[in-house]
Amino acid sequence: MESFLFDPFQADFMQNGALAAMLVGVLCGTVGCFVVMRGTALLAESVAHGVLPGVAVAVLLTAGTSGDPDKAAILCGALAGGVLTAAGSAVILRRTRLREDTAIAVMFVFMLALGVVLISRVDGFAVDLTSFLFGDVLSVPDWEVALTAGLAAVVLLVMWALYRPFVLVSFDRRRAASLGVSVERTELALMILLAVAVVVGFTIVGALLVLGLLIAPPAAAALLTKRLPSMMAVSALIAAASGPLGLLVSWHFEVAAGASIVLVAVAAFAVTAVLRPAR
Amino acid sequence: MSAILTAHDLTVRYGDVVALEAVDIDVPRGTSIAVLGPNGSGKSTLFAAAVGLSAPAAGQVTVGTDRVAYLPQQVAVDPMFPATVRDVVAMGRWGALRWRRRMSGRDRELVAQAMSALDIDHLARRRLGDLSGGQRQRALLAQVAAQDAELLLLDEPFTGVDRPTEDTVRKLIDAWRDEGRTVMVATHDLARAARDYDLVLALNRRVIAFGPAAETCTEEVLAATFAGHVARVGGLLIETEHRHPGAG
Repeated sequence: MESFLFDPFQADFMQNGALAAMLVGVLCGTVGCFVVMRGTALLAESVAHGVLPGVAVAVLLTAGTSGDPDKAAILCGALAGGVLTAAGSAVILRRTRLREDTAIAVMFVFMLALGVVLISRVDGFAVDLTSFLFGDVLSVPDWEVALTAGLAAVVLLVMWALYRPFVLVSFDRRRAASLGVSVERTELALMILLAVAVVVGFTIVGALLVLGLLIAPPAAAALLTKRLPSMMAVSALIAAASGPLGLLVSWHFEVAAGASIVLVAVAAFAVTAVLRPAR
Repeated sequence: MSAILTAHDLTVRYGDVVALEAVDIDVPRGTSIAVLGPNGSGKSTLFAAAVGLSAPAAGQVTVGTDRVAYLPQQVAVDPMFPATVRDVVAMGRWGALRWRRRMSGRDRELVAQAMSALDIDHLARRRLGDLSGGQRQRALLAQVAAQDAELLLLDEPFTGVDRPTEDTVRKLIDAWRDEGRTVMVATHDLARAARDYDLVLALNRRVIAFGPAAETCTEEVLAATFAGHVARVGGLLIETEHRHPGAG
């Protein structure tokens, strides 16, 4: 049993992968509580896919139409793409009387299509689209683990500092405003934190699956707790544990690592939903 | 007596729709005011403008205190929102505490007093979404009470609540007024407006009348306020077209 659990983590790439996945888990598990609480899963999904044009522009600028792209530029481009997606949705919503999900979906498909168009300019799709879509948790270098830790620390610090405004705008925007909270600025800050979480997460589990870490652990935690601080703690714990457990599944069954991590997180939700007494 | 809320030539528009037009009022401190008007008459907009939620298209609204508490019209609360009743009431103190300042003994006392006043101590550890509509409204009113405000703006606080809750809230409004606070209540209840409040503001986008009930709750004023949709039943005037409780 001991070798089943620990032998896979003798390899450096597994250690780095597990550490990075745990950091992303804590980050996404915490930020995701606000996604679940505010009912903005579609926005999170949109931001996750909206990073594609940013990635494509970064690739075109740093690698031209062939060659190796700069990974730091890709992260910055992805962040810009994610923030632009959320900001664009907010602008459409404000200028029209469309439903929120419609405004978000319009921006979602625009950014996705734009990303594909830009990527198609790159010779032979030199960018590793598979790693964009499904992550590359088994080839995380030391510097990326450190960057993930730094970004996660910054996001958690901002979340600690702005906890009250974040809760108030999530509870009721009108009450928040009457209590002196700048609703638009607070929502912008939340959106940027979401974009950072998505960008950090997509390098590990991919743009298609990062939503799994943003939604499944908080959803499971929501079933187990009734206060936000405990929900955030339980969610972060589930998401962080999903990393190494998912890697174990991937190692022993020889299946995709990023998807295994998300499957473990979703399994935690399923077990919680089944075992919790019916309401 | 100085005014705690002043609107001067206040006009608020939502796109092409005029919600309030050239409203001029001076609300005296330490009074209770019923704000009467049909749906879409601008009652909610007046409150929203007072707390800075709706920007004036023209004119201005000035509030003579930074201690303002606002109860918006009842909204659906997500049953899974992760907050207990005590958490929700404590949020009322966050405006004064800003981002990170810890709750003091005084803050905790105000939260406890608010919960006692609304008779929800026994619900403190329940999740807000697990409560009945009446209990939930009590919790939201306790959040308002915990703010220890000088000016309280309550937008249709009696909608969808049971009789005991209604009685509790009425007593609380009287107590607040007796303590020198100013309470403005948006309501459709003509009989109560005439009987229970110091002043009545009859509103239909413009101010139709503002003053003591004896001067404002006349058949002529109310007919102008409700565009003729009032009727006398026995000795009481009632609104005959109150169909859309969500609008205001």
